[in-house]
Amino acid sequence: MSHGGDEAAPPEVGSASPLTWLATFAVTTLLLVSLQQALWLVVPFLLAIVLYYILLPAVRYVSRGGLSHEAAAAVVCGLFSVAAVLVLVPFSAWVVANSASGEVAFWKYVESGKGLIGRVLGEMESRFAFMAQWDLQNEFPRKAAELGQKFVQEHVTGALIKAAAWVPSLLLAPFLAFFFLRDGRRFVNRLIRAVPNAFFERTLHLVDKVDSMARSYFAGLLYLTLIDTVCLVIGLAALGIPGAFALALLAAVLGWIPIVGTIIGGIIVVLVTVAEGAASPATVYAVIALFLVVRMLDDFVFVPLTIGRSLEMHPLVSVLMLFIGGAVAGVLGLIIVLPLAGVVMIVVDCVAHILLDRRLMARYAFARRLRSMSANADLKA
Amino acid sequence: MTRPGKDSRGPPGLSEVPLFSTLDAKELRVVAGLLHERRYEKGEVIFDQAEDSQALYVVISGQVLICRQGEPETGKVAEIGPGLAFGEPAILGGYRRSAQARAAQDCVLQTLSRSDFEGLVESHRAIALKVTLQIARQLARQLRQQTGVFSDLPL
Repeated sequence: MSHGGDEAAPPEVGSASPLTWLATFAVTTLLLVSLQQALWLVVPFLLAIVLYYILLPAVRYVSRGGLSHEAAAAVVCGLFSVAAVLVLVPFSAWVVANSASGEVAFWKYVESGKGLIGRVLGEMESRFAFMAQWDLQNEFPRKAAELGQKFVQEHVTGALIKAAAWVPSLLLAPFLAFFFLRDGRRFVNRLIRAVPNAFFERTLHLVDKVDSMARSYFAGLLYLTLIDTVCLVIGLAALGIPGAFALALLAAVLGWIPIVGTIIGGIIVVLVTVAEGAASPATVYAVIALFLVVRMLDDFVFVPLTIGRSLEMHPLVSVLMLFIGGAVAGVLGLIIVLPLAGVVMIVVDCVAHILLDRRLMARYAFARRLRSMSANADLKA
Repeated sequence: MTRPGKDSRGPPGLSEVPLFSTLDAKELRVVAGLLHERRYEKGEVIFDQAEDSQALYVVISGQVLICRQGEPETGKVAEIGPGLAFGEPAILGGYRRSAQARAAQDCVLQTLSRSDFEGLVESHRAIALKVTLQIARQLARQLRQQTGVFSDLPL
């Protein structure tokens, strides 16, 4: 029989109201504050979600061969772990072997950066007479050294120790991803089973929307990283910058941090370019121009093609969310606040629609009465 | 109580449901892992007319009444018994329900959501194809019956 389901177009959960936005702000901020106590767990959790969406198509592909979903998840995660070990072990050995020269290179890049800014300021002082009285060419390096030393003492050392403490927790990511892949659907099914009948189909819709949003956001982020890496590699290689691939990959990954990530990536590449000595001022300007062009391509072409409107969030709200995320939970807050707010918005919107839907609430109340009557049927005097 | 994904044979009688009758035992286990079991009291509304549709339902036990919205007595469209499915177009697209469904008796239903069916299209295309073919056959049969009704009308 095919009754009861063949009419009209698919509706959407309505566009978010101002009240929904306020609730989304409040809940997201509360979540960020509470997550602060477990930031060490947030990073592997976030990586596990990204891995989940990377590996899910592979699990589905392997399932086509006749394996059960659980077996396919085990096979795919096993192969991924082997590949990760094959890449990470030689890489770790290389990092340890080059750590001393890496530190030397870091200070070399910092000095080069100071030199570049000093030269630019000197040139500006020679062109604009009013700037000469400030003696920025000599003052800047001195102040920068003082502030830099203070910053390193106060922040960098602590940040490095924190980062080192997080490294073991990163090993959790593949394990979490494996369990997400193997048991995720079962877990969601158990959650759905607890939902009253009246809200069952709305809950299915909610779960589907959250999954679609997270998939399009995280998968889109990965595609965006890939596209940015390719563009930057081509640009940097054409400009003759050494280590173009590593620099491009680093800059593209830093792009995961909204707003400041691209700027930090650009500064690092410029410093490396200057430190390598071969670069002329024209090359430095070309590198800056390359980053600006890639940034614009991201905003107008690549982001709409990859992440698109997965978050369905107004740009103003996104910026406010980024400020809140950064203020409450720092760099990690910046990275997680948009997808977190996206999920919270969908849940808040859906729950608000259920609570405000008198028909659904009436059906729920009626079903409860029916159950109560059924349970008490043989208890009448 | 059936535990989706755990019972190696799938829900009782799943192979006898016309919608899944062309699936072999292994394929039935895959489908069983995707089903949600729901229990309804007699008189409980399963879905309303014009409501967003997200899942198809298979009656495992009991009877389901399909009727015009709020007219269970006078607006009966069909009564669905064990082994039969209803609301199939839901998994083909996000359509609105064309009628109301209520439990005519205490009943146990298995449901397959659209998102799970779309996942099936990705991971087990043969199963998705067989189920889609069965839905198409049922819709064709229903259309032919309706055409037959219209051909008898003195127009």
